[in-house]
Amino acid sequence: MRWNNSAARFILFLGAFYLASMGLIAQSSTPAMPSAAGSASQPTPPAPAPTEKPLLIVIDAAHGGSDAGALLTPTAVEKEITLNVARRLRQELNARGIQVQMVRDADVSLSADQRATIANIADPALYISLHASSLGSGMRFFTAMLPSGGDNNGPFLDWDTVQSLALERSKAIQAQLMSAVQQTRFPARALVAPLRPLNNIKAPAIAIEISPTTGDAAQVASTGYQQMICSALANALLSMAPSLRTTVGARP
Amino acid sequence: MNSRPFFVLTCCLCVVALAMSLYVWQLRKNAVDESVPAASPEAVTTPSNATQKQIVLWVAHDDSGTLSSQPLTIAISSERQRQAEDIVRALLGVYTAKSSPHPLPADAAVRNIYLVDPGLMVIDFNSELATGQTSGVFAEELTVASIAQTLNANIQGISRVKFLVDGKEASTLAGHADLSNIYDIAQFSAFAQRLSSQ
Repeated sequence: MRWNNSAARFILFLGAFYLASMGLIAQSSTPAMPSAAGSASQPTPPAPAPTEKPLLIVIDAAHGGSDAGALLTPTAVEKEITLNVARRLRQELNARGIQVQMVRDADVSLSADQRATIANIADPALYISLHASSLGSGMRFFTAMLPSGGDNNGPFLDWDTVQSLALERSKAIQAQLMSAVQQTRFPARALVAPLRPLNNIKAPAIAIEISPTTGDAAQVASTGYQQMICSALANALLSMAPSLRTTVGARP
Repeated sequence: MNSRPFFVLTCCLCVVALAMSLYVWQLRKNAVDESVPAASPEAVTTPSNATQKQIVLWVAHDDSGTLSSQPLTIAISSERQRQAEDIVRALLGVYTAKSSPHPLPADAAVRNIYLVDPGLMVIDFNSELATGQTSGVFAEELTVASIAQTLNANIQGISRVKFLVDGKEASTLAGHADLSNIYDIAQFSAFAQRLSSQ
């Protein structure tokens, strides 16, 4: 009797396994061969229409807090100039319908890693780091000079070279921006620089260093000069909006 | 018990112990005298086996925002590491001069240059160079790039470069140029070539 019970259980198990297997096969083949009746009773829901992500630019006023940056004149400190320019640029871009997120909007200390983290969470179409200098003339547009090594081929990104994913787009934006600014007859140069946190940003990223055109460093601190620069930059960025929107969708 | 032999033996042992102590003290003193003094710019001098050689300096010009190559004949050591130090000192000599095209403080100096790994050159500045450097992205990059490209032009086999300040890792040179990472010297070379053609 014991043998008979065991044999019956084994046969039942085989039967259940067979039926389950057949059910799974039938289920997996259903989408490939839908019947007319099935498709009529259960219509496939339409794919959601792609929503266009608003164009967002992150503006990072360099330095701040205990980090004063360069002393352009005895009264003009880089951290204050960059914050003033950042606020003006935000106003100009908002007036043109471009959204802006500031990395800092007060006199606070932020490390390069903190700045990069804020920018990477915002996931912008473009990250702009603002600097000011007494050296040179006009505006300099920098893309990242990436450190040696780094491997971004796997699922994890190397923090020091994560910008490598967007460097080509950064360079293309840099070239467009410089060209647009130069059309206003404003001196502009495109360069690379070993400058953090550009290398830590996963979105297209550039740094802009503003310097006087008259040789007088006080010019950089003047309201009129800052306004002129911000208007030129905002117009240039507005003219680039279609390509910036393209980069939104192209990001990894 | 006769205590005289015991007394003599004790005296002999004391004399031997004293002599050994003096010998050890002398050995220790000699070892301290022969130890290498701490590295300092003053301690590093051009060795007597230096020969006159023409080198190429990549000099930064603040006014034009360019880098230009200019030949210079200096006394240079035969040792590769010393050669690198001699060359950077020659470049800093241009920058610390009165009519400098890219002013640096008079006490700006390179403390040491190390060839750590095949292809990796570690350049150790003193803090005076960092604190006296004009702060700014471009200004600092001119300093770093001119040094890197000058070494690249005169010392064979350098592929990567790392900068220290006072023997320690620094985050930036003067608030901008990143010194925390190792960079391919080819990138500085491309930067210098580009600025030289503008």
